[in-house]
Amino acid sequence: MKLHYYPGCTLKDKTTGLDISTREAMKRLDVELVEPDGWTCCGAEYPLTGEKIAGLAAPIRVLRQVRDEGGDIVVTTCSFCYSVLKRSNKALRDDPVKRKRINAFLRDDIQIDPLTKERTTGFADYNGEVQVLHLLEYLRDRVGFPRVRERIKRDLGMLPVAAYYGCRLLRPKEEMGFDEPDSPHLFEEFLEAVGCAAVDYPFKQECCGSYLAVSMPDAATEASYRVLRSAKMNGARAITVTCPLCFYNLDHRQETIKTAYLDFAGLPVLFFTQLLAWALGVDKALLGLGDHKVPADALFVERPAPEVRT
Amino acid sequence: MRVKLKSGPDQRKFIERIEELSGENVFACYQCGRCSAGCPMASEMDLLPNQIIRMVQMGLDEEVLRSKTLYLCASCFTCESRCPKGIDMARVMEAVRHVLDPKGQDAFGPCELTPELARELPQQVLVSVFRKFAK
Ligand code: SF4
Ligand code: SF4
Repeated sequence: MKLHYYPGCTLKDKTTGLDISTREAMKRLDVELVEPDGWTCCGAEYPLTGEKIAGLAAPIRVLRQVRDEGGDIVVTTCSFCYSVLKRSNKALRDDPVKRKRINAFLRDDIQIDPLTKERTTGFADYNGEVQVLHLLEYLRDRVGFPRVRERIKRDLGMLPVAAYYGCRLLRPKEEMGFDEPDSPHLFEEFLEAVGCAAVDYPFKQECCGSYLAVSMPDAATEASYRVLRSAKMNGARAITVTCPLCFYNLDHRQETIKTAYLDFAGLPVLFFTQLLAWALGVDKALLGLGDHKVPADALFVERPAPEVRT
Repeated sequence: MRVKLKSGPDQRKFIERIEELSGENVFACYQCGRCSAGCPMASEMDLLPNQIIRMVQMGLDEEVLRSKTLYLCASCFTCESRCPKGIDMARVMEAVRHVLDPKGQDAFGPCELTPELARELPQQVLVSVFRKFAK
């Protein structure tokens, strides 16, 4: 089965591990991921003020392309892409003024085929026809966690793992509709489906400092520390993320965190798809563990799944 | 905190502009403080989120526009999910930064990145931080 997949720019460069493990895992679930032709960056931030409507153009182009290729669903893993695509889509569904203005602008796009030099223009209006799903939603609602369990090839031995939601998956609640913003459980259900033990801890939906890691690094260091410490204190041996920026803050900046907060001894950070791919039998070399600063290799112990699973 | 109240066309214009840009009714806020209670960046801020909105209500444009808080909001929407009046403070913060737009310099621009950092950072965070804090 083919499914439209929007990787986003970071997955093609800095966090290829998320991209590779996603593809490999989905292959094992008989889903072939296809990228919409000519996709661009989604813009990373949904425009929060009414006048910055131009920020909708890039995500809507991506969604329009999915529709024009016959797709009715697009999945994504990066929390930022997910938030921008989902909110922009909803804006075009619900807000007639934005719909009109964006379509008036995008109708006259010119696309030139790099090989044939053929020009296409006069695009049909996009009215929010495509459904934007996070891969976790797709696994729960379309594949189904019971089916994921049936395909498990390796036993993760009830590894205690903390699910980290961060900000963009859950909020704003009305627009994202991903899960309960203050007591989410989708990510935990996923972890249990792949054979981990989900660790409950109070900082799962707190912010890691987000883009402040660049402009206000100390503030982000403290925010990330709070998340990591809370996960570790509650018994986690690893923390899982869906977002390349959470990954950067929690993994790449972990040395800085450890230097600033001496009581923190370190915690490996994983992409959720790495656990999924491993459980489904993907080779360790295809998990993309090379991008990690905090070594995570030792968590993946070769242990075949028991014959019968319920 | 002691503040000197002003009222005049400039103040009214400021309030209207914030409401227009953010799409939020700032006078709906009744100062319960839930936004500040849940804000992960509150400890670093000079004005708490509920103080920002109170000062917008009072038309204290200079005080608000000077605040460090504008550059400490991570747009995490925790305040939005907790506000009993349905106010999205992240939008109010963005509107205030937008009012500052034509005036100042980049609050954080590409020049401030070291080459090492630029090489290491995920693309997404670069797009994000410049969208928030550069012109
Ligand atoms: S939570 Fe809402 S009503 Fe309460 S102080 Fe903050 S903005 Fe005002
Ligand atoms: S969106 Fe900004 S003001 Fe609101 S809780 Fe997050 S950091 Fe604080």
